[in-house]
Amino acid sequence: MKGTKRAARFALPIALSLGVAMTALTPAIAKDLLTVDLVNEPSSLDPHQQWNPDSYYVYRNIFDNMVTRDDAGEIVPQIATAWQRTSDTETVFTIRDDVTFHDGTPLTPEDVVYTVERITDPDFGSPQLGQFNKIIKAEVTGENQVTLTTDGAYPALLAQLVKLSIVPRHIASTMTSAEFNEAPVGSGPYIFDSWDRGVSVTVTKNEDYWGDIGPFETVVFRGVPDAATRVADLQAGAADLVVTLNTDLAQQVENGGQGKVLTVNTERVAYFAMNSALAPLDQPDLRKAISHAIDREAIVDGLLGGYPQIVDQMLSPAHFGWADGIEGYDYDPEKAQELIAGLETAPDMELGLATSPVFDQRVVQAIQQMLTDVGLNVAIDTTDMATWLKDQQTTPEQAPMLTFSRWSCACQDPDGIMYPLLHSSSNWSRVSDPEIDALLDEARSELDETRRADLYAQINRMALEDADILPLYQAAIIYGAAENLDWQPTSNESLFLNRMSWTE
Amino acid sequence: MSVFLLQRLGQALVAIFGVMTLVFFIQRLTGDPTYLLVPETATQADIEAMRRSLGLDQPLVVQYLNYLWDMLRFDFGTSYVQNVPVTQIIASRLPYTLQLAAGALFVAFVIGLPVGLAMAIWRKHRFTNVLMGIVLGAQSMPTFWSGILMIMVFGVWLGWLPPSGSGSFAHLVMPSIALGLLSMATYARIARSSILDEMSKDYVRSARARGVGTGRLVGKHLIRNSLIPVISISALEISQLLAGAVIVETVFAWPGLGQLTVQSVQSRDFVVVQGIVLLGAFVTISVNLLADILYGVVDPRIRKGGKA
Repeated sequence: MKGTKRAARFALPIALSLGVAMTALTPAIAKDLLTVDLVNEPSSLDPHQQWNPDSYYVYRNIFDNMVTRDDAGEIVPQIATAWQRTSDTETVFTIRDDVTFHDGTPLTPEDVVYTVERITDPDFGSPQLGQFNKIIKAEVTGENQVTLTTDGAYPALLAQLVKLSIVPRHIASTMTSAEFNEAPVGSGPYIFDSWDRGVSVTVTKNEDYWGDIGPFETVVFRGVPDAATRVADLQAGAADLVVTLNTDLAQQVENGGQGKVLTVNTERVAYFAMNSALAPLDQPDLRKAISHAIDREAIVDGLLGGYPQIVDQMLSPAHFGWADGIEGYDYDPEKAQELIAGLETAPDMELGLATSPVFDQRVVQAIQQMLTDVGLNVAIDTTDMATWLKDQQTTPEQAPMLTFSRWSCACQDPDGIMYPLLHSSSNWSRVSDPEIDALLDEARSELDETRRADLYAQINRMALEDADILPLYQAAIIYGAAENLDWQPTSNESLFLNRMSWTE
Repeated sequence: MSVFLLQRLGQALVAIFGVMTLVFFIQRLTGDPTYLLVPETATQADIEAMRRSLGLDQPLVVQYLNYLWDMLRFDFGTSYVQNVPVTQIIASRLPYTLQLAAGALFVAFVIGLPVGLAMAIWRKHRFTNVLMGIVLGAQSMPTFWSGILMIMVFGVWLGWLPPSGSGSFAHLVMPSIALGLLSMATYARIARSSILDEMSKDYVRSARARGVGTGRLVGKHLIRNSLIPVISISALEISQLLAGAVIVETVFAWPGLGQLTVQSVQSRDFVVVQGIVLLGAFVTISVNLLADILYGVVDPRIRKGGKA
């Protein structure tokens, strides 16, 4: 009897805590709630403020964008239903007339104009200013019509407008960005519900949405910094979708029997830059030797689980202007050694390879080893990300000798990646080729799409010949998802909830 | 006693000022946060504009004086990244850190003290060596390993507890144990050596000679007298726990100050880091002050100014 009593005394708290645990776990099983594990909570839900995936994963569901990309990557209508270029610098957009913000107010062309003015106002201090400051004027030019004027011909306009979230003028203009961030009001398929600081953001279905809504009543975005914990959440059913897994964890999900791996190649291009302003890298043959010495297949298949796609141009197939048939440097260590043996100045000095913990160190070390194998002396210089960024954005004379990095302009347009990395006027560029500069300038304002794509293909061939920058691969992003979640991730790294559903 | 207290308060203020100054300058040696805040495609002009809006374009001395002036007015600033007042960010995280610290202390105390006591009293027993091994094992396991292990076993395989996050008592169990195991071992060892120390003293021998039983001896005399070192350690442990358990909070996605510290340091959110460090300094100093006062309560010799 005494034994039973004691057992009961122990059993009660255990049962209680189990009960709590069960209630904590059940929401994930209920079909109307979707739980998403991000890395961190969003920095901001004001879509014109912070610019990082954890923020826009969430706010792109609360706000509609001017235009969007479909799952195939084509630019398709969203708030703008049609657009027509009326001159080299002017484009007229037709705005949907059946959209209302979450407070019931209709979305008008004035809201679109206000949105453009807000994000391009230097005093507002948007970190995204550089992506929209080509737009110098926005005005209402007719019923449901907005005309955007750009500073010169600007073919990448639509690609940028994919990210322009429309905010309501009557709310955003009456409060500071910090206040708007506390209670964001948009017109998107999900309504902001609450933000438990440091924990999660909850959004609920917008029943009055003009487009597809998707099946989830409520969606919770949580910050879970440790990737192994995100996988555990997925396997335990506590999360339905988790972001940013590495290949080892993807393997774990695939072998675990619970959950599945979803992957897509993004518009992020990994590259290896060689600084031709500094000896001994001023010798083209050395740069070509390095290009032959790096075994990209080994990196992709051996280290990155075979997910990324090797590229030979500073673009990915997800970009406009991707050209078939451009051949780059094949892996040929003998040729590399021959080229090095034939150099005027032997490269016996130490070559610094700049990196930061943000980058996959396995890849950096593999590259170091591959270059050591052909007789070069490469030293890895690791700094924190802020310092790395500062060291990169400088004159070629002061920049690091070697750099491994990945680039995304979040616009899928070649101007967003090739201009900064190849034009000599850019702080990031290690290339200094007047011909490439002239072609990049021309392509930047070429409105004829075929001609523009040809220009970029030409630039890519020239860049390969210069060998200042070696394209490596199109990076993949890996998600883990519940077995019954149906979703096709897209190259622009967005989590559009209304494109997800449960399978039967 | 009051002179002593005033002295300690003065020292505390000097220490806080020192911490404020140090954290201000050390952070500014670690790189410019502007580069992390703008997209890669930002032009030099965009970067300059961002730097100006954060006030980072001003000379360091001016920035420092502004900072001191703000601190004097209890204005702790606004996060660069989140654009939210630091006090609000810290206030939202602090309750979680307090919960976890309380949970961990509970685990450490409830397991650590009896284990230490047992190891001292039955120090020649074979079982004690096994216990010692377990304690050492608990202390040696890195939390990023033991934490993930617990998550796999109790969260994924058995499904007894939610694998991560916060929001219910069940969420608190695993992080508390993971964090408490470390302090538990410390408590067990300190309690053991402290009690052994006391047991060799004359009054214990006299008490035994008078025929006082082990239970009474331990309960009435030994524990009380062995508590001083335990309290000192508690002061250290509590201030460590309140500063946030960086690894445990990251592994379990527990939204406390430790996790916030890592995120803020990584994004060079100077203002938030300053706020957290200041809070940490304040807590450490106050807890130590409290410990000094508690010594007096437990041991009248200190309270009455006598020599121990």
